[in-house]
Amino acid sequence: MILEVNKLRKEVSSGESKLVILDDVSFNLLEGQSLAITGPSGSGKSTLLGLLAGLDTATSGEIYLNGEALHELDEEQRALLRKEKVGFVFQSFELLPSLTALENVMLPSELKAEDEPEERAKYFLDRVGLNERKHHYPNQLSGGEQQRVAIARAFACSAKILFADEPTGNLDPKNGEIVSDLLFEVNSETDNALVVVTHDHDLADRCDKKINLKLGKIVE
Amino acid sequence: MLFNLSFKIFQRELRSGYLTSMLVSLVLAITIVSGISLFTDRLEKALSAETEEFLGGNLKFESNQNTAKSKIQRQDFQDIDFMEMVLFASVIFSEEEMQLSSVKAVDNAYPLIGELELKDKSGKFLSKESPELGTVWMDARLQNLLNLSYGDKIFLGDSEFIFAATILYEPDRASGNFAFAPKTIMNFEDVDSTNIIQPGSRVEYNYLFKGPEDEIVNVRNYLETIKENGDDIEVLSEDSSSLGRTIDRSENFFLLGGLIAVLLSACTVGIASQRFTRRHVSYVAMLKTLGMKTTQIRTMYFLLFLFMTFLTLLFGLILGWTLQSQFINLMSSYFPTELPSPGYYPILITCLTVLICQFGFIYPHITKLITISPMRVLKDDVSFDYGFIPVLLMGLAAFFLLLYLYTNQLTLSLIIFFGVIGFSALGIGSIYLLLGKNKTGLGASSPILLALSELRRRKFGNSFQIFAFTIAIGLTLITFSASQNLLGSWQTSIPEDSPNNFAINITPQDKENMQSFLQENDIKSKPFYPVTNAIIFKKDEQNEDDKIDRNFNITWIEELPEQNDILKGEWFDKNLNNGISVSDDISERYKLEIGDEVFIKVGEEVIKSYVQSTRTVNWDNFSPNFFIIGHPSLFKDISSTYITSFYIPSDKQYLAADLMREFRTVSVFSIEELIEQIKEIIEQVTQALNSILLLTSLSALFLAFSALQDGFSVRKHQSAVLRTLGASNSLIKQSTLFEFTLLGLISGTLGALVAYAGIYFIETRVFETTASFYPEISIMGPLLGIIVVSSLCYYLISGITRQSPKKLLMQ
Ligand SMILES: Nc1ncnc2c1ncn2[C@@H]1O[C@H](COP(=O)(O)OP(=O)(O)OP(=O)(O)O)[C@@H](O)[C@H]1O
Ligand SMILES: [Mg+2]
Repeated sequence: MILEVNKLRKEVSSGESKLVILDDVSFNLLEGQSLAITGPSGSGKSTLLGLLAGLDTATSGEIYLNGEALHELDEEQRALLRKEKVGFVFQSFELLPSLTALENVMLPSELKAEDEPEERAKYFLDRVGLNERKHHYPNQLSGGEQQRVAIARAFACSAKILFADEPTGNLDPKNGEIVSDLLFEVNSETDNALVVVTHDHDLADRCDKKINLKLGKIVE
Repeated sequence: MLFNLSFKIFQRELRSGYLTSMLVSLVLAITIVSGISLFTDRLEKALSAETEEFLGGNLKFESNQNTAKSKIQRQDFQDIDFMEMVLFASVIFSEEEMQLSSVKAVDNAYPLIGELELKDKSGKFLSKESPELGTVWMDARLQNLLNLSYGDKIFLGDSEFIFAATILYEPDRASGNFAFAPKTIMNFEDVDSTNIIQPGSRVEYNYLFKGPEDEIVNVRNYLETIKENGDDIEVLSEDSSSLGRTIDRSENFFLLGGLIAVLLSACTVGIASQRFTRRHVSYVAMLKTLGMKTTQIRTMYFLLFLFMTFLTLLFGLILGWTLQSQFINLMSSYFPTELPSPGYYPILITCLTVLICQFGFIYPHITKLITISPMRVLKDDVSFDYGFIPVLLMGLAAFFLLLYLYTNQLTLSLIIFFGVIGFSALGIGSIYLLLGKNKTGLGASSPILLALSELRRRKFGNSFQIFAFTIAIGLTLITFSASQNLLGSWQTSIPEDSPNNFAINITPQDKENMQSFLQENDIKSKPFYPVTNAIIFKKDEQNEDDKIDRNFNITWIEELPEQNDILKGEWFDKNLNNGISVSDDISERYKLEIGDEVFIKVGEEVIKSYVQSTRTVNWDNFSPNFFIIGHPSLFKDISSTYITSFYIPSDKQYLAADLMREFRTVSVFSIEELIEQIKEIIEQVTQALNSILLLTSLSALFLAFSALQDGFSVRKHQSAVLRTLGASNSLIKQSTLFEFTLLGLISGTLGALVAYAGIYFIETRVFETTASFYPEISIMGPLLGIIVVSSLCYYLISGITRQSPKKLLMQ
């Protein structure tokens, strides 16, 4: 089991009132499996993904990621876990504008102090078909290309599990397809798990499991 | 509509706090500038009124003959007040005592300017009139020496007078050669009856004029035509008295402080408006897509900055006014009456400063902002071409304008301007060299590697930050050093035991006795200088053009007087055929070069000599000082009196009276009061300057803070991304701290260099003293850099590490 979620609840207090964003969310995911999280806007998808990846903490409930109790870890420990086990792809790419495509992809290896980060990065850039563009800066790349760099960066983490928040949301259908193809290809190659938030039904249908959120609750 | 919209944006910006550093630094600059210029303006006015009073009018004509009066009266000058007085020295007798006095006989127009403060048996009173016929006024010293009560008789020449009042204060104290002995004032019409003035007596006629400036020029032109050898025309000019120089010098300090504060906040404003622009890029793009015209947007931002100008001017001027009234309060004990209210100039200079800052450091950014393409909304990464060069040029132009506005000297401004540019180029160049070429990757594996790679990667931004830090640190060090060293040396320039009494008219017979009198009473004196009145001619006395039209008190002595430094040529030497030594200002004014032949006319005797050396003279040292010093061998046959100065401690003040009783013909006068006044002013100016130092450091801190803040906003995003990828907090913290400590070290070192250059420049050019080396600055600079930059950075860092990566999800 790569991911085990029990009775997850997330509240935020805005002033006097308390807002429940997620309530009673439970599910499991096996190693190498893929999961699609769907639901209308504002239903809590991004919030859930953030909790799963350890970017944020839940109000109550349990998350076991690769067997570790995520909900018991502090900020620093979660960062360490992310470094070792988690890859993340954002809807708005989040590349560092001052680094080239290659350097962006090198980042995870550098943080892990791995040998020859440059070689690894080149491999993954090649894998997403951007070998030619490796010395270009993000503002010199199209949206689809930037997202492919972001995916290369996520793979370079050699993560056990990959999270992607609407990875195709900012892209046109053609580019969207290229990106989702890439996600599944590499997913099957490296045997890591994939959790993807998406509005795209085709993408959701390709996943092994689906959960549908509505007002912070899982509905069938 | 536009007005409302821009007012709304203004309010929002105010609340957001993004504008705080810009507003605060503008307000600070306005406060300092308006405070200083209002204060110095009032000070200058008070001083010029005082100089006018000191001279007794706008123009004074001094002559040894009374022939001028009828000539002047034949002229028809408009709106000119005119008075005549005659000055001479005479012995005055009371029933028991006698004493030499300097007598001033004034006509009924006296005093032209100001009032006398007198005292009689009914107490102190002010007077704007001359003494009544048959009466005299005397100063307290003379009254004591002659042992007089009000109504007592005194005898002067063939006449007798009633002592009517004590002089506590008289306006025209600049009166000529006889001003040293205790003073008597009498009525001009009584002079004839004394029969003192005979052909050949040494008297001086003074004619004072008061009137509008252009008419005074006419009077002056006329006087030049009737002026004879030995006559002198004096106009109101920069006061060359010690007091005037003291105040002058403090004004230099103040202006320096003001200029530094303005430059600091100009830099802050530049940084802040750059940030403002970056924040508003997408806003402007959005307004454009919504169909707003460029001109409308321009107007909107223009209005926005108008609000800002108004707000900062309002607060700055209120604070500036408070500041100057604090300073005035500090100095109020020196100025007996209310200081004149300031003119428009300070307000003008303040507004001009704000305007230049606006146009040089804000407006170019806004212009850039307005040209942004609406595409920016569609595609986030349409690069925003910042157009660095025009912005830089505008900034530099404004920088130069400010320099010129404050120094009012083209060459000085040019020197500072290119000095600063050269220094920056040097600094930036060395940073590029020091950091070397980019390596691939961010080096995120260790804090030090990450810090170095960040430094390398942001060379350009870093250079700018270093520039800002360097300026902030350098200028603070200069201000600090100015307040510590320059002021310190200024304060110690009047040592505790500097002479507080002068004695003149010492006859050769009295000289030895007086020296032993002083020795017996344990009083240290300066040398006894022989002194005589002489006229100097260049080359040939027949040639009118070569005449140096001036009476000099000259002396002759073998030793170089203390605090005189030889500039050119050589001081006297036993083996040389010796000539004369001339002070530098006289040599400059009359074009006297080393080796030039001169003729010295003393009485009827003419001595031929040459210029052997030129000297700088410290006129502030309260010792007898001379424009011209000759070698004793030249003046063997000249009879003279002697002059000296000495320090009488406050517990031995009675010795002054003893001395005068013992040596009747010697005039002793005290400058204790003047020294006290100068010391007091220095003390008060120091206090005022320290508050300027504090405000300037505050501006520097703001500059450093905004420069840092600027760098940090870029880091927030990067840090969030790195955190998502699992970077530890300590990695980010340590690398950032390390990076900024390094930045602080570099800019601190550069700042120390800037300070050295600046201090050297200020000492040699502005204050014209000899430059000294201050070793503490080379330690203080880097230390200040590291401490200030890294602690500011530590404060800002929490804003970064608190940056939770989840923010990236919520875009
Ligand atoms: N810190 C917060 N404070 C207040 N409300 C929050 C906070 N974080 C999330 N929310 C609210 O929680 C709800 C769920 O947000 P979330 O971003 O998870 O939605 P989502 O399903 O990802 O929507 P979308 O498809 O539009 O991205 C939203 O209504 C959002 O406004
Ligand atoms: Mg979302």
